[in-house]
Amino acid sequence: MAQARLILEELKKNHVTHIISLPDNSSAMLLGLLSADRDIRLISVTREGEAFAIAAGLWIGGKVPVVLVQNTGFFESGDSFRGTITRLRVPLVCLITYRGYAKLVSWRLEARREALDAETLSRADLDSAALVTEATLKAWGLPFDFLHADEDVAKISEAFRKTKENEQPFAFLITQDMT
Amino acid sequence: MLTKHELLEPLARLRGNAVVITCMGVTRPWARYSESELDFASADSAMGHTADFALGIALARPQRKVICLNGDGSMLMTLGTLVTAAQAAARNLFLFVIQNDIYELTGNQPIPGAGRVDFAVLARGAGFLRVYSFDDANSYAASLPEVLSGAGPVLVVVKVEPGSEGPISRSEREASDYLKVSLADSGRRLRRALDAPDPVN
Repeated sequence: MAQARLILEELKKNHVTHIISLPDNSSAMLLGLLSADRDIRLISVTREGEAFAIAAGLWIGGKVPVVLVQNTGFFESGDSFRGTITRLRVPLVCLITYRGYAKLVSWRLEARREALDAETLSRADLDSAALVTEATLKAWGLPFDFLHADEDVAKISEAFRKTKENEQPFAFLITQDMT
Repeated sequence: MLTKHELLEPLARLRGNAVVITCMGVTRPWARYSESELDFASADSAMGHTADFALGIALARPQRKVICLNGDGSMLMTLGTLVTAAQAAARNLFLFVIQNDIYELTGNQPIPGAGRVDFAVLARGAGFLRVYSFDDANSYAASLPEVLSGAGPVLVVVKVEPGSEGPISRSEREASDYLKVSLADSGRRLRRALDAPDPVN
């Protein structure tokens, strides 16, 4: 698992000005740090779709926003993400917590992420949010990588470089609760 | 009820160097009054996300007024943004809700709550401290300088006559300059305009 403190430090290295978020358990530690942080402003939203539109506006105004939401919230954000971040070519780094990832791994169903059927999607012992996460990101043209542990945190800086170079967003899937 | 001309003409005179974000039924009409590089059409964008997009610009540029001309149907899609904007205390955000009670671009179907929904009440309940409602041109024109002079976030409900704007595209066929280019190019243009030296309004 990745430490929230390390993630925050990496974001600061990249001059992030705002984090727009709706809380979940996995991101609670980072949000706790942000609530007392003087360098990065935390903007709380009522629904995740707002986060992407606000981030687009912040970027238009010259700021460096990051969106922090759960995978379920990303699904809710579909048209907002498509219509603002993608259409405007906003170089946005997104942090998406991966609800249901642990069950996916424990049932060794990672290989079925893109071969979904009604039976699998309705299994009570699985979280369907996890099953559709990666397929959704691919369908919506959002490249991604994983943040499993502390050693992955350094990848965030490389993502910032790539987003600017390609004028394209990039997501990190955070697979475990931050500590 | 105001005509679109009565809504937009005074606003174009008084906007100064404010950013103006348009959407839906006022997108084309606004371009008849303004050719500013600080204008941005939220067209070919995310439906219902004009107000939150404008809020982002306002938060990024607190010294710059941001006027958002939102539709009533669009506002209904993201009512939570009223709460977010009030919570974020965007003092430079002037959020207009153009209320004609219809989805004008899709053939004038009534919005949910047409004739009943009160955006001023919703805004006050969300935490907006300055809220105005206008349904006649004279009081609107007389009050607009005051509306635009104080601190925001401000919510301005303006009742306008139903219109007949058709669907909006981004293409060379559009008469409005700011609709001739892609959303991405429009965004780049606004970023450049915001970076250009400009006195604080």
